[in-house]
Amino acid sequence: MAAGMQAARPAASRGAIRIEDVVKVYDPDGAAVMAVDHCSLDIEPGEICMIVGPSGCGKTTLLNAIAGFHSITSGSITLDGEVLCSERKPKAEPGSDRIVVFQNGALFPWKTNLENVAFGPTMLGKLSKSEVTEKALGMMADAGLSGVEHNFPGEVSSGVRRRVEIVRALMNDPKVLLLDEPYRALDSLTKSVMHEALLEIYYKNKVTIFFITHDLEEAIFLGHKVAIMTTRPCKPKKVLTVDIPHPRDYSVLTSKRFRELMEETSDAVHEEALKAFRAGEKEG
Amino acid sequence: MEATAKRVIPDDMLHIFKRTMPFQVVSDPMLRKIAARSWRASYDAGALLYDVGDKADDIFIIVSGKVEHALEPGVKARRPVLSLGPGDVFGWAALLEKYPARLAKAVCIEPVEIIRINGEELLRVLESEPDTGDVVMSRFATMITRDYTVPDLIAQLRGIHRQMHSGDIQGMNLTLYRFSLWARSPRPYLMLIGFALFLGFWYLAVEVWKLPRFREMPGITTVVKEWFSKDPTYGLSIYTGEYYQHIAMSVWRVTQAFFLATVLGVPFGLFLGWSRTFKEFLFPAFEMLRPIPILAWVPLAIVMFVATESAVIYLTFLASFFATALNTMLGVESIDESYTRAASCLGASKWQVFRHVIVPGALPFVFTGLQISVGVSWFSLVAAEMVSGQYGLGYVINTSYTMVRYPTIVIGMITLGAVGYVTSAMVRMAGDYMMQWRVRELALGSQ
Repeated sequence: MAAGMQAARPAASRGAIRIEDVVKVYDPDGAAVMAVDHCSLDIEPGEICMIVGPSGCGKTTLLNAIAGFHSITSGSITLDGEVLCSERKPKAEPGSDRIVVFQNGALFPWKTNLENVAFGPTMLGKLSKSEVTEKALGMMADAGLSGVEHNFPGEVSSGVRRRVEIVRALMNDPKVLLLDEPYRALDSLTKSVMHEALLEIYYKNKVTIFFITHDLEEAIFLGHKVAIMTTRPCKPKKVLTVDIPHPRDYSVLTSKRFRELMEETSDAVHEEALKAFRAGEKEG
Repeated sequence: MEATAKRVIPDDMLHIFKRTMPFQVVSDPMLRKIAARSWRASYDAGALLYDVGDKADDIFIIVSGKVEHALEPGVKARRPVLSLGPGDVFGWAALLEKYPARLAKAVCIEPVEIIRINGEELLRVLESEPDTGDVVMSRFATMITRDYTVPDLIAQLRGIHRQMHSGDIQGMNLTLYRFSLWARSPRPYLMLIGFALFLGFWYLAVEVWKLPRFREMPGITTVVKEWFSKDPTYGLSIYTGEYYQHIAMSVWRVTQAFFLATVLGVPFGLFLGWSRTFKEFLFPAFEMLRPIPILAWVPLAIVMFVATESAVIYLTFLASFFATALNTMLGVESIDESYTRAASCLGASKWQVFRHVIVPGALPFVFTGLQISVGVSWFSLVAAEMVSGQYGLGYVINTSYTMVRYPTIVIGMITLGAVGYVTSAMVRMAGDYMMQWRVRELALGSQ
C-alpha cells in the first residue's frame, strides 16, 4: 500500500519542511501567551500535509512562521535542509519558494486575473513580457480558467478567484504552497468542486502543500498526512497517514477506508474543539 | 467549391454551438441570435475553403468531416499545420480587425459539414452583451494561442479584447450611464421639488411677505433680472465680459492650488501611510497645522508672499493639501495586509510593492480626498480673495458688499456654487476613469 502511494505521489525532490521544537510566545501586553508549544512535524517533498484544528488554535501562527510573516520564539524550521528560521534568526525572509494563499483571498482587485497570475514572474523579471503572458494563459487554460483572463477578480465568483490565486502561486514554481483555510468562505458545493480542482492542479505540479483547515473531511480527502493539532498552545496531537492512494476523486468520500479514518480521528478533533470552546467561554 | 447552403432549424444549431469551446458560456437567447445569422454548408473532399490573403469574412465551425488548416509562415506558429475535426473553430482571422485577410489555407480532407457565421455580424451580436462578449472573445484568444500556437498574435488579440471592453461601461460612459439611471429614478423630481421649495421660500420671504429679517435681501426676481440683463444696473451679468473674467480668474487660481496640493499631497500622504518612521516624524506637526483655519493664515501669508497673487494661491492650496494628504494616508492604511504580504511572497521588492500595491490600493481614498480637496479649495479661495487679490468671485462678493450691490453678491454666490459643482464632478469622472476595477465592482454590486 505504502509503495503504491509513493508511486502515485508526484516524484518531487524538493519541498521538504522540517518543523523542530518550535515555540511561539505572544507577549503583547505583559501576559505571555503560548501560541505554539514545542511543535515538531516533518513534511516530505511533494506531500499534501493537512493541519487540522479548531479556529484560533495557533495553526496560522505556524504558517506565518514558515512564510516569514511572523517570528518564532525558539526551535527551528528548515526547508530542504536550509534554515528558514531559528532562535538565532527568529523571522524567515518571505520568498517566492513558499507562497501563501490567504484565507480571505489576496488577488489584487485592481489587476485583471491575467495580470494577477503574471504578477510573480513579472516582478522577478526573469522572463520577457510575452513569455510571462504565454505561460500565464497556458496555466490558466490548464486550470480551466479560460474566459476570465481579462476580468477583474471582483467580477468572477469566489471559487474562480481561489483557483486564480492558486495558479498565481504556482506561476513562480514554488517549492511549497501554504494554504490558510482557502475554502472557508465557500459553500459546500463549490468546495467539493474546488477540492477536485486543487488535486488536479496538484497532480500536474510537483509541489509540497501545507494546508490549514478545521474541516476533518476535507483534510482526509485531500491529504497524504493529516496532523491534528491541540488547541492553544498548538502542537500535533495525532499525525495520521492517509493510505488511500492518489489520484483521488469524490468516490473516496463514500469508501470504507475513508469512513474508518474519519472514525479513528473524529474523537480527537472533537475533543480539541470542545477544549477550544470551553476556553473561549472562560475568556468571554 | 460547390457549396450547398441551406437554413437549418436553430435548435439543432444551438446544440452544435454549445459543444463549441468559445460559445459554451453563451446564454440561449444570445445563441439564437447568433444561430439566426449563421448558415450551414457542405463541401466535398479537396474543396478549398480559403487561401492565404483571401478576404476574411466568415468564421467556420466543423460539424462533421476533417479540414487541413495551414497557417502561413509569417505568423510564426509553433505548429502551423493542423488537422481539424468536428467541434473545431477556424477562420478566426475574421475577428482580428475590420475586413482582414486570411492568415491560413483551409482545405477539406474529407466531405465536410460546416456552420459559417459572418465575423462582423458575430462581433455585433457579442457587443450587444459586452459581458458575455468578453468571455467569448477571450475564449477565442485562448484557443488561438493554445490550439493554433501563435503567441505573436496575443497583442492583436488583446486588441480585440480591449475594443470589446470599450463597449463596456467605463469612464465617460459610466458617467452617462449613471446619469440615465438617475434621470429614470424619482430623484430628479425630488431634486426639482427641493430647489422649488428653496427658491419659493426666498421669493415669498423677501418679495411677498417682506419679512423684517430679509428686508435688505435682494429678491429672486431682482437677482435673476440683473443676472440676465444686457444692461445690468450694478455692472455684472452674463452679458458682461467682466463676469467671465472673474470666473476665469477664480478657476485659474483653484486649478493652480489644486494641482499643487495634489502633486505634493498625494506623495506626502503615501509616504505617511507607508513608512512608520516618516509618519512618527511628521504626522504630529501635520495634525497640529491641519485644524488652523485659513483665515488665521491670512496675515502670515501676506507677510510671506509679497505678491498678493501667490498669497492667494498659497491660502487656497493649504486646506486642499491637508485634505489630500490625510485621505491618501488613510487610503494606504486601509490596504489589507494580505495584499502586501502576497506581493512580497510573490517576489516583489519593497519598491515594487509600493508601486503595484500601495499606490493602486490607496487610489479609492485618494480620489475621495481629491473631491474633498477641490471643494475646500473653493471655499479657501473665496476667503483668500476677500482679503487680498484682484478679480475672482470672492473678490466680487466682497467688493459688492462694500459698494452696496446686493444682487451682485447673490450672483457671485450662485456662480461659485455652480462652478464648484462642475469641478468636483470632473474629479469624480477622472477617478472613475482611473479605477476601472472599482467601477466594475460597484456596477456589479448595484445589479
